[in-house]
Amino acid sequence: MLLGIDVGGTHTDAVLIDKNGIKSTFKAKTDTKDLFNTIITALKEVISGVNVKEIKNINLSTTLSTNAIIENKLEKTGLFISSGPGINPENFKIGDNTYIIDGSINHRGSEILKLDTSALEKDIKACVKDGIKVFAAVTKFSTRNNMQELQISDSLKNNGDFITMGHLLSSQLSFPRRAATAYYNSAVWRINSNFLISVIDVVKKMGINAPVNILKADGGTIPAEASKSLAVESILSGTAASVMGITALCKITDDAVVLDIGGTTTDIALFASGVPLIEKDGISIGNIPTLVRSLQNRSIGIGGDSVISITKGEVKVGPERKGPSAAEGGTEPTLIDAMNFAGITNHQNKEKSIEAIKSLSEKNKLSPSDIASKSIDFAVKKIKDEIDRLLFDVNQKPVYTVHEMLQGRKIIPKKIYIIGGPAKAFEQVLKGDIKIIVPENHGVANAIGATLAKTTFESELFSDTGKEKMMIPNIGIKEKVSQKYTLKDAEKDLISYTRKYLENLGYRDSDLNIEVVESSSFRMIEGFYSSGNDIRVKCQIKPGVMMNLYK
Amino acid sequence: MLKAKNRLGLIFFPAYDWAISPTHPEREERLLYTQDQLREEGIFDIDGIVELKPDIATEEDVMRSHSCFPDVKSVTTESHMISAGGAIRAARAVLDGEVDKAFALVRPPGHHSMKSVHGNRGFCNINNESIMLEYIREKYNKRKIAIVDTDCHHGDGTQDIFWHDPDVLFISLHQDGRTLYPGSGHLRELGGPNARGKTINIPLPPNTSEEGFIYTIDKMVLPILKDFKPEVIINSAGQDNHYTDPITNMNFTAHGYALLNEKLNPHIAVLEGGYSIQGALPYVNLGIVLAMAGIDYSSVKEPDYNKNYVPQSKDITEYIKQLEEHVLNNYFNPAPDIERAPVGEFTVRRKNIYYDTDGIQESQQEHILICNDCRGVLMIESTASINPPCIGIEIPVNGCKRCQEAGHKLFEQAVKSKEYMTVLLTDRVNKVYKNVTQ
Repeated sequence: MLLGIDVGGTHTDAVLIDKNGIKSTFKAKTDTKDLFNTIITALKEVISGVNVKEIKNINLSTTLSTNAIIENKLEKTGLFISSGPGINPENFKIGDNTYIIDGSINHRGSEILKLDTSALEKDIKACVKDGIKVFAAVTKFSTRNNMQELQISDSLKNNGDFITMGHLLSSQLSFPRRAATAYYNSAVWRINSNFLISVIDVVKKMGINAPVNILKADGGTIPAEASKSLAVESILSGTAASVMGITALCKITDDAVVLDIGGTTTDIALFASGVPLIEKDGISIGNIPTLVRSLQNRSIGIGGDSVISITKGEVKVGPERKGPSAAEGGTEPTLIDAMNFAGITNHQNKEKSIEAIKSLSEKNKLSPSDIASKSIDFAVKKIKDEIDRLLFDVNQKPVYTVHEMLQGRKIIPKKIYIIGGPAKAFEQVLKGDIKIIVPENHGVANAIGATLAKTTFESELFSDTGKEKMMIPNIGIKEKVSQKYTLKDAEKDLISYTRKYLENLGYRDSDLNIEVVESSSFRMIEGFYSSGNDIRVKCQIKPGVMMNLYK
Repeated sequence: MLKAKNRLGLIFFPAYDWAISPTHPEREERLLYTQDQLREEGIFDIDGIVELKPDIATEEDVMRSHSCFPDVKSVTTESHMISAGGAIRAARAVLDGEVDKAFALVRPPGHHSMKSVHGNRGFCNINNESIMLEYIREKYNKRKIAIVDTDCHHGDGTQDIFWHDPDVLFISLHQDGRTLYPGSGHLRELGGPNARGKTINIPLPPNTSEEGFIYTIDKMVLPILKDFKPEVIINSAGQDNHYTDPITNMNFTAHGYALLNEKLNPHIAVLEGGYSIQGALPYVNLGIVLAMAGIDYSSVKEPDYNKNYVPQSKDITEYIKQLEEHVLNNYFNPAPDIERAPVGEFTVRRKNIYYDTDGIQESQQEHILICNDCRGVLMIESTASINPPCIGIEIPVNGCKRCQEAGHKLFEQAVKSKEYMTVLLTDRVNKVYKNVTQ
């Protein structure tokens, strides 16, 4: 049996799935002040009457780190950056305790300027005096040479409880993203790791002897143990849970759009040939881009409870939610009220909806039925426009080889899958040329996705054979290789080092299906002679589910 | 969060699977480290900077500026069409108002490609800037356009294409042709009989440094641009004036390139040469991107700047100061062309062109009709070591009625004569492109 809990902004869903499908579900209101208690309640309810020994896996999607960041409940964090030539590093300060240390590594991973250790010592003293206990160290091009991050970390190790080194977060290039990601990772480390310790403890006490994994924004999981030092990986996993739920509920083989429609927002995700699309660079928190891998996703302010407003005769819906719909006892009419009025839905107290739309009509020179139909049209157009924009952006994504340029693979969705509370209602209004599917159990798709999501991972290898160097930054591998090291050797090494690393960390998926996704080797010339090869290989375990629930 | 003052479109096409040959400077990894640097700096996350996918240029796009013998397909690869398409995408982004400025970091380069094309010379097959410029004239109803070529090598291809065009101002700053490929770009080259003073060459001495380049921009390029009043300014942004470049002898810097770009303030920049791919390109491109976006670039500095950059010597400063008068005179009071034929007749120019990359020898006879109503019909008879005699006839943008008729007549005569392997007609007025190959 597999157990999953998805903690959302308003609801927490728990699901238990066995080989026959969904065994039990439970829905509770989320107590944002006490997530731990919410989870325990959901856990107890969903397993009542079940032999806990049969539970083989627990996946948990939480909003703990996300909320801490959004509500700015962050621990004071000392961020040490060294950047070398380029954009002024002052621009990358984040939080109140960023220290810029002289030092520089170039794009080939050569140290150009040694780290200013006396400045470093001085700044560390200031941190200690300030009572700072968690740190982040990020240097430019640390994914090509991590020595200066290691140096900073070394100097800090007796002065704090936790330190994030940028190169361990991702192998991807982007100094500003690395700095922000490392900062957040440290700033939520304590709250996240305390929380996980409690969860693991309670699970044990309940007699459940199963690994606990945490859901990530890329639709995959990470073992709770490993997640302690990678807190930032658990942010914004909500949409991913829903998208993975869809993949378990429906057999998707084509290009498709997924809409997760809630009370306040609609999230839009894309599938290419049945596989959810990953955001190229990483997710943004507010307007701060990070290196946290996520599914391609857009969110717009259209949902069932989006408020209807009329300015100068123009009917608008959203982006605000000003409380529940009139049908649910709210004061202002919402999109659901318009749908109730139009006879599309029969949600709660329909009379209240009609009343609210009529009262809005009296204040403006529009008939109630006009208001209702214009509201629905507005919402439909917003959603369709956003889908088109997302498709345009994805299809316009730059490529860097002649081959890819000429191939020009475009995503053309054949179906739209809708989940979430008002899914059925939207099925009717979005109807058109494209086929729309609302899967059974769509109301708990999020929890199903959370339950069934498998491990994901990504790592990248760099080698400069001229310098006889090979490294896999995010798993901390640095090796000497021969000048004859080939692309084939690199691919083999990357997969075997990654597998070993994951197994040590307790990744227990039976099939750690690690695939090479990018692979290149450039012959480097200095003067007019070959100076070795620049080899780059990237591998991943792509998001997937442990079992399918469709027939 | 960083925000660009000018919305900037970047068209980045490194063609990682295309090279002239395995150890040639124009090879796969040329923009690899530039991409690494731009990514690590987070350039593509800056608010106001967008990365755009190149278009693929069509044969018609190419035929607007070139006479390709025997045809476009034979002298280009897909990579050339994407590189030119990258420049076109940059132009579209700016002229459609998607962005304020655009920079096409594309390869292969193009500024050594001349009007007639038999193959590759100076690493170039087709001329990205001129294809872009003609696209702008065709689609956006612009007339006066300036190209400022800051590549270290003379932009002889671009010069050749616009030699007779009074509406295109071409200014090239380069290492003196007596000391570097392609050996041209002297002060006396100042445009054809119908376009005197609209080609401006500024041959700079070897070892010209930041000071000399900025002086040239301030005292020569900017006053000329101010007078010409172009509707669009294009920068052929070659980066081989850098002090680390392996095939040139100049002494310019990343910071200098950024400052130059800021002063020049082009709408569109297109990458040309630059072969110090580790020591210069990552920093020069970063500097240009920041300058175009209007972001502080003062911290952009090569790692070896303090060790290897040498400020300019006095005699070079003096030499450049002496150039000023000649250059300004060439534009403001150009000497008339003594070989100019009377109105209604052709002025003839003979040229021998060597395609160094492909080892092709071409001889040309170029005939331009002296006309009072338009730029004049152009006819190029060309024989190359790989092709029997060919001929290209061009009726210019805004060509007058008489030149249109003359062009069509010349085309028919040439086809009838059976003396040429390929006869090309480029009729820019009616947008007709004909190729008769026997």
